[in-house]
Amino acid sequence: MAIAGIARWLVPQSAWVRRLPRHPVLAPIVGALLGFALPACECGNVPVARRLLASGAPLGTGFGFLFAAPVLNPIVLASTWAAFPDKTWLLWARPLGAFLIALALSMLLGMLAESQLLEPALLEERRLTQPLSRVGLLERGSGLVGGSAAMPEAPTAAERLGAGALLGHSTREFLSLLTLLVLGSALAAVVQTWLPRSWLLALGSAPTLSVIALMLLALVLSVCSSVDAFLALGFAAQVTPGALLAFLLLGPVVDLKLAGLFTVLLTPRAIAITAVAASLLVLLIGQWVNFLQL
Amino acid sequence: MSLLQRLRRSPWMTPLALGLWGWLLLWSSASGRLDLLLNAAFHPVVTAAGAVLLLLALIQLGRARTRPVGPVPLGVLLSLGVALLMLAVPPAPSFSDLAANRQDSLPEAPQLSFFLPPEQRTLTEWVRLLRSQPDPDLHAGDPLRISGFVLARPGEPPQLARLTVRCCLADATPAGLPVDWPEGTDPKPDQWLEIEGTMTVQDRNGVPTNVVNPTSIKSIPRPARPLEP
Repeated sequence: MAIAGIARWLVPQSAWVRRLPRHPVLAPIVGALLGFALPACECGNVPVARRLLASGAPLGTGFGFLFAAPVLNPIVLASTWAAFPDKTWLLWARPLGAFLIALALSMLLGMLAESQLLEPALLEERRLTQPLSRVGLLERGSGLVGGSAAMPEAPTAAERLGAGALLGHSTREFLSLLTLLVLGSALAAVVQTWLPRSWLLALGSAPTLSVIALMLLALVLSVCSSVDAFLALGFAAQVTPGALLAFLLLGPVVDLKLAGLFTVLLTPRAIAITAVAASLLVLLIGQWVNFLQL
Repeated sequence: MSLLQRLRRSPWMTPLALGLWGWLLLWSSASGRLDLLLNAAFHPVVTAAGAVLLLLALIQLGRARTRPVGPVPLGVLLSLGVALLMLAVPPAPSFSDLAANRQDSLPEAPQLSFFLPPEQRTLTEWVRLLRSQPDPDLHAGDPLRISGFVLARPGEPPQLARLTVRCCLADATPAGLPVDWPEGTDPKPDQWLEIEGTMTVQDRNGVPTNVVNPTSIKSIPRPARPLEP
């Protein structure tokens, strides 16, 4: 939240956001690589991704960061290595898989119009930072008729938010996300109480069923990406390699605790598309890994 | 104006929610509640977060007096309710229930360690040692003094167990030792016991297995730090 708050102060219409590539493939790549600058798990990067999108960053960059950064960061890569020092294939397969999923999801979501994709309050905030050449006056709700169609100028120090206002915004955002996180965790806890892990792990040795079972387990357990490798260590010997990778790939993108958090970014339709597409991609990757017998 | 609307319009709600969460984190660190949830290495982070939240609450409190604010989102009230609930309801975890649902795949020790003499080993160290040296006869007759909670798995005799945690309860892994419970003892799930006795080898389901043969069983309170790294 602190980083998102600082970003709110620094990023609005600043030069570096304007320079980010808008190419459908390059934008998510840049977003994914931003994860190395912000080592956070998936709950930590939601507010930062929201701030990036609200500040007018290309959609691909925001989504690339949102979906890939929970894995493509030094802490998660180090914890994966610490948990599985003998599974070298996992050390390249996990980041590569996360990167491919983020790229595919960003390109898929990029096919939707922004109004169908982004949560209304975020959309409104984002439109204020877009140039009039890209967003109509009525859509933006502000601007001068006959004025320049260029991107709004970068704010001067005096125009930037004051420390008090910044604190107020960040506090509200923190409390809203906190509630969503607590509700998501409560949901995950209830489901875990009624669905014992042993039922899902019982399917561990079947090639396809094991992948699906471990994907369900990732969905239900809702563990942060920075510790999920240690958790996976507990059952790694009983499941197929594809299922293990599927567990490590799906959790950072889709799980019960994220369902609430994503509502501050995406419309319900976009969340559903993300969940279905990510699950299909992870299932495919898991199947390939089992087929190649890594 | 309904009570909910009045609460949402109150300028004190945001600092109150921040302050309560800050207090909750600090109180959890001080009261030992965190010891039931999190590896000790992460406790300072939680304490620092609590202090920062309290500081923010004080700053917001000063601002709330002077500046009018719009209605707070419903989420703020909800988070306030959650914090109050957490402060009001004491934690009553069942380690036995948790452990019965987890796999017995104990992670390696966090650092390279040499095993102490038998009577000084903890239960977790015993389990690690028995897994690294699978010949049960090597340890037959060794004296031991261990403590743990009674782990009751359906269809199995109760064991004495500990939970090891790398990060938090989500990755808790049980380490359990079979015990040859003397006639007349009735170990209850989650009961904390200290057992003195010797390690024996018994045939369990056709497999020679190390089993604790107690000479003394003492009921003890739950230790301050029940989770092991």
